[in-house]
Amino acid sequence: MNIIACVKQVPDSEALIKVKPDGSGIEEAGIKWVMNTYDEFGVEEALKTREKHGGDVTVVSIGPARAMETIRTALAMGAEKGIHIDDPQLEGADAYTTASALAAAIKEIPYDIIFCGQRAIDNDSGQVGSILAELLDIPQLTIITKLDVEDGKVTGIKPIEGAQLVIESPLPCLVTAQKGLNEPRYASLPGIMKAKKKPVDIKDVAALGITVDIKAKVAGMTPPPERPPGKIIEGDDPAVKAAELVRLLREEAKII
Amino acid sequence: MEHIYRTGNEGREVFWNAPYEAMLFAFTAVALIIFAYGLYRRWQMWAAIGKAEKRTDSAGERIMSIIVNGFFQARTFKESYAGILHGLIFFGFFVLIFGAAIDATQYHIGLPFFHGTFYIVFSLIMEIFGLAVLLGVVMAVVRRYITKPDLLGYREEPDNTPDDAIILVLIGGIIVTGFIVEGLRLHVNINVDGFTWGEWSFAGFILSKTLTGINYDTARILHKIMWWTHAFLALGFIAYIPYSRLLHILTTPANQYMRSLKPAGYLEPIRDFETAESFGTGRLEDFTWKQIFDSDACTRCGRCQDGCPAYLSGKPLSPKKLVQDLKTYWIDRASAQLAAKKAGTDEMPEPEKAMVGDVIDLHELWSCTNCMYCMEHCPAFIEHVPKIVGMRQHKVLMEADFASELQLTYRNMENNSNPWGVGAHMRADWAGDPDVKTLAEDPDAEYLFYVGCAGSFDDRGKKVSQAFANILKAAGVSFGILGTEEGCCGDSAMRGGNEYLYQIMAQANIEVMTGYGVKKIICTCPHGYNALKKDYPLFGGNFEVYHHTEIIADLIAQGKIVLKKPVEGLFTYHDSCFLGRYNNIYNTPRDILKAIPGMKLVEMERTRAKSFCCGAGGARMWMEENIGERINDMRTDQAIAVNAGSIAVACPFCLTMMTDGIKDRSMEEEMASLDIAEIVWEAMDIKGADSAS
Repeated sequence: MNIIACVKQVPDSEALIKVKPDGSGIEEAGIKWVMNTYDEFGVEEALKTREKHGGDVTVVSIGPARAMETIRTALAMGAEKGIHIDDPQLEGADAYTTASALAAAIKEIPYDIIFCGQRAIDNDSGQVGSILAELLDIPQLTIITKLDVEDGKVTGIKPIEGAQLVIESPLPCLVTAQKGLNEPRYASLPGIMKAKKKPVDIKDVAALGITVDIKAKVAGMTPPPERPPGKIIEGDDPAVKAAELVRLLREEAKII
Repeated sequence: MEHIYRTGNEGREVFWNAPYEAMLFAFTAVALIIFAYGLYRRWQMWAAIGKAEKRTDSAGERIMSIIVNGFFQARTFKESYAGILHGLIFFGFFVLIFGAAIDATQYHIGLPFFHGTFYIVFSLIMEIFGLAVLLGVVMAVVRRYITKPDLLGYREEPDNTPDDAIILVLIGGIIVTGFIVEGLRLHVNINVDGFTWGEWSFAGFILSKTLTGINYDTARILHKIMWWTHAFLALGFIAYIPYSRLLHILTTPANQYMRSLKPAGYLEPIRDFETAESFGTGRLEDFTWKQIFDSDACTRCGRCQDGCPAYLSGKPLSPKKLVQDLKTYWIDRASAQLAAKKAGTDEMPEPEKAMVGDVIDLHELWSCTNCMYCMEHCPAFIEHVPKIVGMRQHKVLMEADFASELQLTYRNMENNSNPWGVGAHMRADWAGDPDVKTLAEDPDAEYLFYVGCAGSFDDRGKKVSQAFANILKAAGVSFGILGTEEGCCGDSAMRGGNEYLYQIMAQANIEVMTGYGVKKIICTCPHGYNALKKDYPLFGGNFEVYHHTEIIADLIAQGKIVLKKPVEGLFTYHDSCFLGRYNNIYNTPRDILKAIPGMKLVEMERTRAKSFCCGAGGARMWMEENIGERINDMRTDQAIAVNAGSIAVACPFCLTMMTDGIKDRSMEEEMASLDIAEIVWEAMDIKGADSAS
């Protein structure tokens, strides 16, 4: 099987995020960049699918030079090769533009199943996988927590409020991965060493033959308001303290 | 050689009534051939499998090791009953063999001094040591078959083999027949030949008195029979050595000679990440020959198991069982290898069982806390911990197959350089109060305070960092921290088998420290202390490294710390393995505590070198403890048993484990666990460090 896993490099969830003074984005200095958590589930499922059905896994990512690290991480986990779309024009790309670039790269190679994370933990748009499926004109199974690939079709489970859907689709198709789908593996050391030598195609927009026209742009970015410090009610008499708590909840917090 | 029995010529006819000298030579030759063949076969097996390793450097130190541990049995005596019984047999046999050699020399060459007082003293000594061996054998029989301590088994199930019984019968038999021979000889010598010094051979003399009434001719015949029985048993003993646990007579001293001369807890670093194809020890062949030879020096004495926190808490690991299982596997594999060679193929037949997973269960591998109890107490200097870490390396580096919680720990270390996974930018957040300068701000500081991950991110650990920084400030010590440039020391990665990650961590730290020209470092965490002090030099990080207890003790001695406020309640000190067994720091923390006014210090039953691990070493800090009892709860119980109100510790992992143990036992009202730095800062009774300095 020809399996594709799309990955995005995002700031580590523990990283200190500072918004640039002009609000155009975040300060990148000192940030640890990692693979988007949901994409890790996608890569793991891609590898599992290959282990079961044979074939190879191609990792595709869009991002500046540093995104290569994330591609290498997926290669270290066991993917065979990578495509790195690196073009300054794609900086700040919206979901549609991103999906278009991915589609342009993926169209050139054979594929049976494509894995994406259900969303990226940085921008939280949750659209790229779906748009990519539309652009490739293939069925999509989104937010999947269990997947079975057998006899040219896939069966996925998608939890919804109060129930779960069992979705079937023929191949080729696109699956977006949700937490619970699997436990992403830890890369072995030979895997890490081999990953350094695995082939990665670096492509720019021209090579993909697309024109970039970003419609939805981030107009501004502001940090969340600082959380006011917690308040500790002092005193020795529990009854007095409880009364004060009630007063504060009613008058200041206005929640009772 | 007829002996003339008269005063001034005290002595006896050696080999009296025991002709057929040629036959004795023949039998001796046969025994020696059997012995030599067995040893040769064993030698081939030792050489069959294993990578090269040099263990013959520093001959002087190694010879000392044999003298202290082999001849004087320093470690064997640490357990009194077993040490005494082994000493009685060992020293007894040693003297008796010398005696036999003197007898033989007298017979064949003639010893001019073998008469008179020398003879009498000689007889007496032989008698005493003969009885010593017999007493040793009786003690051994009582221990092995009657009292049955758990260390001679595995989980209440004795691991006695027929071999054990055969050997005790052989040794006991040699001595008993020796005395009977003596008794019969004296019976005839005294009553027929006028031998008058029988009392000096008191045991044989008493025995001869019971033989009154036996016809002297019958006695001569019986003497001959017993003499040959005695000779056969002795020769059988020699021949049996290479085929039984008696082989330890050779392998244990050999292992004592070839012991690791590296610092305690040393793990050989992996050097060839880029070129090597396999990492760690997944197959027997991946061990060095010495690591395999270790298993043949094991006598199943069980001292390793007797204080192993994993074993005692009901986990599958027993260091003894692990070594014995490896031994069985090695004998199997080496035999197959030799057979293959004999058949003319160099191809090693594939093993039926995988070493890691089948022979050594994965739960055994991951139960180890790297506490070093086993290695500290093994009389044969077997190296259990490096074997375990080697096999962990195989699981982690080669197969990436290990506990998911540990995978998370490693990812956290990769992404944020700390096992907790807290944002790396928060590393210096503890240092707001008191205000501590970084080396970037104050490059001339004398000491680097390497805070470590627990001291930076763990809420309890942060309090210790603050207390220690307060102490340093109050004592006027010039120090700085690395702030957010500090990284995880990597100890948990190293001991958890992720040598690759460990070296990344170590190299990053060394680079930063060297960049600031750091010379002296203080660590509050013994894991960082041990890594920086003993492991970092292997990667070019050469610093003077101190544990905070060493610094505090020194400041107290210099009078820079004044301990004013008396403490209340009963304290006990829990030894951190990485401070105690790894670095031999036992007294310093106790001395600090004793310097505090009002200190009442009580020792737990398992203390100092025999201390019981808290359960967090060897990356266990980050792993679920699902099998058996929780080690930290057991240690807490040991503190409760001595009515301690405060458990003083000198390690943040111990602090966490003891604090959790106290909670698990619902003793929060009665007990607390405190780092020595916290206790000292409290006793200094200064409000706000700045006002004091």
